[in-house]
Amino acid sequence: MLLTYIPGFLNFSLMQTQVSGKSAILALVLVLLFFTSWELYLRHKGVTPDYDDGPELWAHFRGKVYESADKQTVFIGSSRIKYDLDIATWQNLTNTNAIQLAMVGSSPRHMLTDLANDQNFKGKLVVDVTEVLFFSKRGNPKPDEGINYYKHRTPAQRVSFILDKPIESSFAFLNEDKYSINGMLGSLHIKDRPGVYPFLDFPVGFELNMFNRQNMMSADFVADTNQHNQVKAIWGLLKGDPTPPMSGKPLDSVMQSVKADVAKIKARGGEVIFTRTPSNGFFLMAEQHMYPRPAYWDRLLKETSCKGIYYADYPAMASLQCPEFSHLTPKDAVVFTTALVSILKQDKWLSFNTAGTK
Amino acid sequence: MVFNSYTFVAFFAIMLVLHNLPISWKAKKVNLLLASYIFYAAWNPPFILLLWLSTVVDFFVGRALYTQPKKAKRRLLLVLSLIGNLGMLCFFKYGGFILENFVHLTNVLGIDFHPAKPNIILPAGISFYTFTTLCYTVDMYKKKSEPVKSMLDFSLFVTFFPHLVAGPIVRPPQLVPQFEHEHKATRQQLLDGLLLLSLGLFMKVVCADTLLAGTADTFFGSGGITGPLDAWAGVLAFSGQIFFDFAGYSTSAIGVAMCLGFILPQNFLYPYAAIGFSDFWRRWHITLSSWLRDYLYIPLGGNREGKFRTYINIMITMLIGGLWHGANWTFVAWGGLHGIYLWVEKAIRDRPVKRLAVTANGTHVEVVETASVVPVDIPRKRPKSFPYALLTFLLICVTWVFFRSPTFTEAWRILHSMVGQSPPSGPPLLATADLIKVGVVISLMLIFHWFMRNTTVLKTAGKMPWWAVGLIWSVLLILIMLSQQTGKAFIYFQF
Repeated sequence: MLLTYIPGFLNFSLMQTQVSGKSAILALVLVLLFFTSWELYLRHKGVTPDYDDGPELWAHFRGKVYESADKQTVFIGSSRIKYDLDIATWQNLTNTNAIQLAMVGSSPRHMLTDLANDQNFKGKLVVDVTEVLFFSKRGNPKPDEGINYYKHRTPAQRVSFILDKPIESSFAFLNEDKYSINGMLGSLHIKDRPGVYPFLDFPVGFELNMFNRQNMMSADFVADTNQHNQVKAIWGLLKGDPTPPMSGKPLDSVMQSVKADVAKIKARGGEVIFTRTPSNGFFLMAEQHMYPRPAYWDRLLKETSCKGIYYADYPAMASLQCPEFSHLTPKDAVVFTTALVSILKQDKWLSFNTAGTK
Repeated sequence: MVFNSYTFVAFFAIMLVLHNLPISWKAKKVNLLLASYIFYAAWNPPFILLLWLSTVVDFFVGRALYTQPKKAKRRLLLVLSLIGNLGMLCFFKYGGFILENFVHLTNVLGIDFHPAKPNIILPAGISFYTFTTLCYTVDMYKKKSEPVKSMLDFSLFVTFFPHLVAGPIVRPPQLVPQFEHEHKATRQQLLDGLLLLSLGLFMKVVCADTLLAGTADTFFGSGGITGPLDAWAGVLAFSGQIFFDFAGYSTSAIGVAMCLGFILPQNFLYPYAAIGFSDFWRRWHITLSSWLRDYLYIPLGGNREGKFRTYINIMITMLIGGLWHGANWTFVAWGGLHGIYLWVEKAIRDRPVKRLAVTANGTHVEVVETASVVPVDIPRKRPKSFPYALLTFLLICVTWVFFRSPTFTEAWRILHSMVGQSPPSGPPLLATADLIKVGVVISLMLIFHWFMRNTTVLKTAGKMPWWAVGLIWSVLLILIMLSQQTGKAFIYFQF
């Protein structure tokens, strides 16, 4: 009989062994030595602590969308709005909070649907459009991970988030993208078989992520054209994607879905506007070629009956240059945000409580 | 709450302090019980009510089962307890599955029945604590052990946080006596426990989550139409992930309990070094397989009712074992495949074969011996028996395809891809770094299992020089912290 060989009870042999206290002390000393050296080395290289932009941080801000509309504005989009909106400037000029819910490398349609289906969300919403991502199939799992995490957050996960904040803000080596085991293995650039989706190794200073989820380029990155070229080369890799731009019925379906989501928010008294943040160089050329403005941007505004701010239409934004063709420097993010607030106030496209605003 | 989270680090530190305060044993037990409820409620507080219900009902029913002299009444009580425990498990875990199959059946019969899909949330660890309480009531019915005297001890037996949500599945005689007298970890137990906790976290955080989960998720998320290299890498990655994830939890649980002075049963004994499938089930999820043996296989008749019934009993046990893991026919198929493996192994083992043997004076004579997948003259852990362990491992990898795939269609696609029978639908899937990670981790895992198959970590650590243990321990901790993966749930929580 086969299963009767299985022992029913543990032999308590675990207790017959000896692990020395000296071993524990040695382990502790070695761990402390290693991480002290590692942290000092990274600091010496100019690396500063930032926050991992994971579902935990996203969910934290997703939970803040319910404040009254005159106190805050929610932003969704892809990476551009995370760089281009300077949250401090926005808050200073409008005297309202900016809740950044955009997600890098993904379509904001996931978040739009999530907010539209949330009966308690009745606030102001800015939807930034990066055509290649906005009008794409919902392939990137990141937004759904974030939304799912938010909906099923456990009390233990909330406590872990609170405990994590001071730890992550203190240590530069706690950067999952760059200095985790997988991050470091990825940066070895081991040659892949042709056709394998590449590991996108952005320079450290390109994607600093603040606690408020604003992305920033470091001063070193802004000053270093080699690093700009490294990022441009990554955009070049993405150019190789053979997927054609969305058109025909799939595009109609996306337009209908966005229209329905926007209508739901407006029906509850919410406000929605679209923005198109700057891009330059070959990135912009490709976008204009693949996603001509009348067929995508103009149609989107028409279908949804929403206002939109296309950066090229406004002199204060049109001349802004992205060092790697797709995102603004921190300095230009202030310029962009100032112009954005000015347009919104001037055209009264979003309602702000004017008391106390600058 | 998961062991690999900051919340648990804080919780455990507080628990260690509280458990070592100069207060009465009863107060310490109350502390442990409250802490266990907090540990469980940290997932979803309302489900604590189910845990209470199960605890209270089984405590009183268990006592009545033991003391009730009338057999008919005892039977009735047992049936009520089984209906209560299994009914709760069926509703929460299998409610949707049962309804889905019922709808499918009615539609096949031509009845147009389309009820709303139930939105049932699965309480964490319900399969584990249901099996824990079930074995108590069955033991009481059979009078195999005495009823637990106090409600506090029984509640702690059911709820003790290290084993509560993912085992090891404990039996009353293993844990209850430990609550009767004061238990405080000795310095040695604390050190051993911390080493085991570090090892368990290393297995979960570094090996499962950091090095293998990404590859397994990418492959199984792709639908499985790939070349054989990607398919094998994906399946091997999951084979490693599921082991490191679950054995990591068990090792952490044993370590945590040991730090508090309690001993939990061992749940894994280097299963990928198993030579044959009965050997595998002596090494994989030991507390579940022994539970199934004692409370299902043997009550079904075991091997006492002839060969045919033995085969049937083995298959029933494995099919139910498969279903225990999840509400999907793919889990049943996983169990069924293991059942077939055990059948084949038993058939070979039971078949008498004639072999030539050399007598003392050098002449050859024909002898009859029992056949086995493993030739009987191969002593355990000789280098030449390693290929049998490898064969066992590869056949077990095939079963994981059914375990991990959401549908049979996908499982078949993956099996076809593994043998190169499914033309890839696109370019190669996995990065070279992923292939290297899987190759290195799985090779090291198999080597480690092979050399450790007859010993334990603590025994081995006890024989090593203190500085070597310290060095290895520091490497484990450094890699855990460098992996920067916290809070990921354990796979077995969903079971």
